[in-house]
Amino acid sequence: MDVLLDGVLALCLPLLAWLVLRTESLSQAVVLFVAFGLLSALGWARLEAPDIALVESAVGTGLTGALLMHTLSWTEETPPDIRARGRRRPWALLAVAASTLMLGWAVLALPADSPGLGPLVEARREESGVKHPVTAVLLNFRGYDTLLEIAVLLVAALGARAVNPRSERPTPDAGDDPLTGELFRMMMPALLLVAGYLVWVGDHGPGGAFQAGAILAGGGVVALLTMRMGPPRLSSWQVRWALLTGPMLFIGVAVAPLFTGRRLLELPRPYAGTLIFVVELALTVTIAMVLLMFFPGTRPPRAGAEGEP
Amino acid sequence: MHELRTGLAFFLLLNILAGMVRVIRGPTVTDRFIVAQLFGTTGVGVLILLAADAGRDALRDVALVFALLAPVTVVAFVRFAVGSDAAPGSDKEPRP
Repeated sequence: MDVLLDGVLALCLPLLAWLVLRTESLSQAVVLFVAFGLLSALGWARLEAPDIALVESAVGTGLTGALLMHTLSWTEETPPDIRARGRRRPWALLAVAASTLMLGWAVLALPADSPGLGPLVEARREESGVKHPVTAVLLNFRGYDTLLEIAVLLVAALGARAVNPRSERPTPDAGDDPLTGELFRMMMPALLLVAGYLVWVGDHGPGGAFQAGAILAGGGVVALLTMRMGPPRLSSWQVRWALLTGPMLFIGVAVAPLFTGRRLLELPRPYAGTLIFVVELALTVTIAMVLLMFFPGTRPPRAGAEGEP
Repeated sequence: MHELRTGLAFFLLLNILAGMVRVIRGPTVTDRFIVAQLFGTTGVGVLILLAADAGRDALRDVALVFALLAPVTVVAFVRFAVGSDAAPGSDKEPRP
């Protein structure tokens, strides 16, 4: 039975990926992408990688699916002629085939059962302050990477803000709108609870700031789309605080050991667990705000665009 | 018990396969989107079945996250569908 299950998954994934690439309609591609994300999360679950399955479900499928779907409403549905483009560039096929071969060769050339750095992490896990090895690596052993990653996220938010079209301040004419704020009011308590839970569970299982941030951002997106709220603006000080709490706190925690003669990011062992939890909570707020800033507001009616002949 | 759960998960996966027909052929985007949502529900079921095995508790959280974020995509889809319907509707005046 296990073999059947894995076999069907392994067949479905390339099929769906091919369909996503093949379809010429943007909206179809988005729908197929959501289905593909779901199946790939199932695939990660079968591969016993629950951490990746969780990120895939929260960021990869949940929020990215919503982002792509929302972006559709800003686009004019005129997909490029993919087949003609494919005909024009036969070397693209060659390049893809070559890189696939190289990747396959690299995977096959890997030592069959090398434990990697797993045993090393396992041996020092006691010192990290958390019980889950992934969290230990991300926020203690390789905290430097995570710190830089957050800085990259801030840059990404700025980039998104620059690219996003300026939506008008939406007018609250809820008269004939099928989307009311009721859903947001119903969802928000559950979202807050689960986001807090995911930060807490990161201590001893898959979870963490990214997943929790994606959940919170999901709530923000629902608010954006149903309550006719404008997208977050960089000029507002609340938004700036939300964006900066995580990085500032993380930098503070990273630099503080320098004053007591330790090294950068060397968390004092008795407090390491608490510090990681607090940093993750602050990062959750920042990540949620960054992800929310990727969403443009509701598109104003297309009177202007449609009016032209 | 493990065999039964895996069998059920396999059955649910076959359901997803059956739904693929609608995704590929579905005449309108809405048909396709509804099927994608059905995939989501089925996937949550599969994850919960898989989570019942010993040591796989984390998959239950994955199912929880999926179930919570699914409405967000639906809302985005409705906003997209309504927006694209309302846009031609809003300037329905006869064109010159």
